[in-house]
Amino acid sequence: MSNASSSALLRPKLGLGASLALILPIGALIIVNLLPLFWGMLTSIKPESVIFAMPPRFAGFEPTNAHYERVFVSGFAQSFMISLFYSGVAVVMALACALPAAYAFDRFDFPFRQSLFLLVVASIPLSLGAAALLIPNYVYFVHLGLVNTPYALPLIYAAHQLPMAIWVVKGTIEGIPRELDEASIIDGATRFGVLRHVMLPLSRPALGAAGTLAFVGSWNEFVAGSVMIDAPWLRPIQPLIYSFIGFFGREWGPLTAAATLAIVPILIVFALLGRLIVSGLTKGSVKG
Amino acid sequence: MRSSTVSAYSYIAPAFALLGLVLFAPVFYGGWYSLQDIRYGAPMGFAGFKNFARLLEEPDMGATLLRTFIHTGFSVVITIVIALGLAVWIDRLAPRFAFLVQIIVIVPWIISTVVAALLFRWVFLNDIGLAAWAARSLGFGSFQPLTSPAGAMSLLIAISVWKRIGYAVIILLAGLKGIPDDYTEAARIDGANGWQVFRRITLPLLKTPLLLVAIVLTLSNINTVETPLVTTGGGPGDATRILAIDVYERAFVNFDLGGATAMALLMFAGNIILVVAYVRFTKWKA
Repeated sequence: MSNASSSALLRPKLGLGASLALILPIGALIIVNLLPLFWGMLTSIKPESVIFAMPPRFAGFEPTNAHYERVFVSGFAQSFMISLFYSGVAVVMALACALPAAYAFDRFDFPFRQSLFLLVVASIPLSLGAAALLIPNYVYFVHLGLVNTPYALPLIYAAHQLPMAIWVVKGTIEGIPRELDEASIIDGATRFGVLRHVMLPLSRPALGAAGTLAFVGSWNEFVAGSVMIDAPWLRPIQPLIYSFIGFFGREWGPLTAAATLAIVPILIVFALLGRLIVSGLTKGSVKG
Repeated sequence: MRSSTVSAYSYIAPAFALLGLVLFAPVFYGGWYSLQDIRYGAPMGFAGFKNFARLLEEPDMGATLLRTFIHTGFSVVITIVIALGLAVWIDRLAPRFAFLVQIIVIVPWIISTVVAALLFRWVFLNDIGLAAWAARSLGFGSFQPLTSPAGAMSLLIAISVWKRIGYAVIILLAGLKGIPDDYTEAARIDGANGWQVFRRITLPLLKTPLLLVAIVLTLSNINTVETPLVTTGGGPGDATRILAIDVYERAFVNFDLGGATAMALLMFAGNIILVVAYVRFTKWKA
């Protein structure tokens, strides 16, 4: 322990021991964290005859897209598109509600400001309570006639992501100097003008971080999607994959193909905006 | 009311309309609904606490609570211990390695739980899974975690840890970065060894992020439906039937919406305790 810490302090050239101390844990992490994904992707392109081969085959087979074709004729494209729609609308709604709210909480003074903001902070972990909250949510949406409509999930996803978005955006607005607001107001801008021309451009990184997290959260959501929706054309992607387990049974080719396809948008978002995810999380998003 | 007050409320109104519709109103409606006599999902008149009383009479309830406690307890403790170690390690790495490791660490967290659980089920499939083959090749003999109650619960905990550890690492790493180097260096100059520095300086200063992570992990583990549903379906037998999957199946497999709503509200009350703790440890200011 003390050796490791003093070497970190002095930062000597990496010797063999130090290189191993770096490579071994990184290698272990890659195996533990990425192997299940890699193995799933590999399975999805294996011919039927190779999937259950013992010992498992890592190479030496003719890749096939047969499993992907079966997934697509089983309604995958529809769920993929509707999930993109749900998640996209949820992101836009969450950010559109979060920015003015964060602005008002930071810059205006009004009665019950503290208590209302407390409610927002409390709602951050509350949105995690999927099982506990979803049943009351379901009976209430049945009462309102929203179940099995295209509106149910965008509303739910936007609301689940909104408290986190307000928190992240407000953190950034706190750092925008009030002199900028005052200067714009002296120049004749309204408060809405300040929001539009000062806050919006300057809080773009925060909106990006919150939006990325909101997209990932909405795309990956399962319980609300499976509970609120019955109609196949409205079914989002995670419940579809779950229903595939019953539908394809022990056919792991189509199952892993569907799983692979469901990860693709997330990996794209992650490749493009990975830094935003880390910064958004660091800024205090709390989804576990 | 001053016009500026009205205007301030108009800025927060859309947010609260949305939160009200999805988060707040259902709790009140659910409270009323849980006190009704529910037939085929429809309220048929006031029934008092009948739905709640029915839950308490169920002989399996204690065992379900115990399993929930085991799953959540082990998952949270293991996640935090490993995440703390990883965070301390990443904190010392050169920046380019640190970023690479963070990216690897966070991947399971951005994958959906359904997909993660499905892939684990594939890897750990009895006899023919990759894990069973690896165990046989390494001389561990037959490895069929999904057939034994303890094995299935262990796998469930492993998936929960795998899925959420990235989140814990990032939050703890942010906490570590907030500790000024002067503190630890001063302690070292005074002759403290690595473990003493960690134990006496780093750990106390990490208290808030550690508690926040613990609360969030507890909440998300208690409420996870997907992991048991996809990996084990609650089995073998009832070995992995935790509260979240019990309430889900009660509502949507057995269609006992009255009992499920009552149970969900009890879970919600438990969640509120954690939420209150969360709000206290968050250094929020309006």
